[in-house]
Amino acid sequence: MTEIKKVIEVEGLVKRFGSFVANDHLTFDVYKGEIFGFLGANGAGKTTAIRILCGLSHPTSGKMTVAGIDAGRPEEIKKRIGYMSQRFSLYDDLTVNENIELYGGIYGMTMKEIRQRREELLTRLSFSQYGEMLIGSLPLGLKQKLAFAVAVFHDPEIVFLDEPTSGVDPITRRQFWEMIYETASRGITVFVTTHYMDEAEYCDRVTIMSEGRIVALDSPAALRGRYNTATIEELFVKIARPKTETA
Amino acid sequence: MFLLRKEFRQIVRNPFMIRAIIAVPIIQMLILVPAVTFEIKRIDLAVIDNDHSPSSRELLARLSGSSFFRITATPVNIEEAEALLFSGDADMALIIPGDFSEGLAGITRPRLQVLADAVNATSAQLSWNYLTSVVRDFNRDIVIGEGAATAGISAAGSLQASLPGIAVSSRFWYNPTLNYKYYMLPGVLVILITAIGLMMTGLNLVREKEVGTIEQINVTPVRKWELIASKVIPFFIIGLLDLALGLCIGWLAFNIPFEGSLLLFFACASIFLVAVLGLALFFSTMASTQQQFLFVAFFFVMIFILMSGIFTPTESMPVWAQQFNWVNPVAYLMRINRMVMLKGAGFHDIARDVGMLTVLAVAFITLAIRAYRKRA
Repeated sequence: MTEIKKVIEVEGLVKRFGSFVANDHLTFDVYKGEIFGFLGANGAGKTTAIRILCGLSHPTSGKMTVAGIDAGRPEEIKKRIGYMSQRFSLYDDLTVNENIELYGGIYGMTMKEIRQRREELLTRLSFSQYGEMLIGSLPLGLKQKLAFAVAVFHDPEIVFLDEPTSGVDPITRRQFWEMIYETASRGITVFVTTHYMDEAEYCDRVTIMSEGRIVALDSPAALRGRYNTATIEELFVKIARPKTETA
Repeated sequence: MFLLRKEFRQIVRNPFMIRAIIAVPIIQMLILVPAVTFEIKRIDLAVIDNDHSPSSRELLARLSGSSFFRITATPVNIEEAEALLFSGDADMALIIPGDFSEGLAGITRPRLQVLADAVNATSAQLSWNYLTSVVRDFNRDIVIGEGAATAGISAAGSLQASLPGIAVSSRFWYNPTLNYKYYMLPGVLVILITAIGLMMTGLNLVREKEVGTIEQINVTPVRKWELIASKVIPFFIIGLLDLALGLCIGWLAFNIPFEGSLLLFFACASIFLVAVLGLALFFSTMASTQQQFLFVAFFFVMIFILMSGIFTPTESMPVWAQQFNWVNPVAYLMRINRMVMLKGAGFHDIARDVGMLTVLAVAFITLAIRAYRKRA
């Protein structure tokens, strides 16, 4: 691991909503090209953190840089990242081709580039037959895969995926993770949140969050070793159980 | 611009939008223009004739002979007349005293008593005016007929039916037949584009918030003014199209005269639309659901329209209301439209209103861009 380049640096990040602390002094780094997992129960603060990193939300305090850009210049950060939210967010009343065209165009690609890369993309995903179909008419699994493809269409440095696989069937989830690997192999850093523990095993490193704090951060194997558990799921139940209720 | 193309595609693809764009102007023009009128016809009159003389019958014949009055009841006493007014079966009650014809003959001073249902002050006022003008005519003819200058009739209330020493003949300019449709139509056109512009634009942005698609846009490096422009331009064009459609209906259905310059008319409407759309986007940045937006928008549209002078002249409103109209885009366009359509006003006649409207347009659009947050 020589010459590891940090693409995200976060130090002492705090986000408060009134008296509620959603993110309590988060400190972590993400390296270029890795798949970085954010694990936590619902309400642990994953989405809040990802929204701050994407420039959709202001941190209350703390320092952070994303893709080498300071948090104070969110619009510059936005040029260099891709984002897929847990709410499906392509336009239902536009076709697959039109959605790709829209986002490609917003990121400053020319129509020629868009056409060429769109064709490559749809062929690679074997989605060519869906090009002229309205997004709204496609099944959820397909939509999610397309949303991911659109999020990395402009070749960002980092792509943020906020619970990308929630609500899709196991086969689609598997295919989705194949897409994630393929993306990481192109040198795009993948930052992914999930509450599926088996997915944590697919990550290079995972962060486990509980009640707004990071309780563990390492590779899945190292974590299992340190806490002496067979799976991340077991580990999660052991260390991330909220004090007030069962996980 | 990719965002703009996206908006147009979405509008064209939405059958409801297409129907609304075509149907709303047609329905509004055909229903509102003829329905909203201040003319009062067929006032139901209850009459107590205590005189039963040729004179009183002559007066009643004149009243029922005019197109405004219908004598619908002849109660025997005031109590009964009051009951009729209360139930709404009569709009006015006229009481002719027993000494009416004697009065006309110069023995006593004849008095008529009129009771009017003034729940609707405007219509009561108008009915009153109609009645007194009939009485005045009657009075004058009597005076002329009898050559006696002493027999003025005065009706209870404030009317002193004065003798016509000077004959006033009036002509109504710019709307010679006092056709209320001509007065209302330019105003209804304003209502039309206000409603279309404000509702469609605002709901569009708020719906994107509700569905969540706006978040995906917010995470892109798209600039705020680009986003606002992509929301304004399509609805701006729709607004102008609907205005043209409304105007065509005005010509075809109501034969409305158009005295001024079409170019000026559309130029002013364009400035107005920018102001309204800016306001719509400003409201929608503050609302997180379509219900919230509708509530706020409806509230402001009502105030803007009612205070704009469409029904009542702004000059007769209280001073604070007139001051409010400084920031009411609808009031400016209401005045401009009537000036241009009915009076054929040129640019220099309406320059002040156009200037203020431009200031508002710039202010509202700036407000929308400033208030739009790409981050929550």
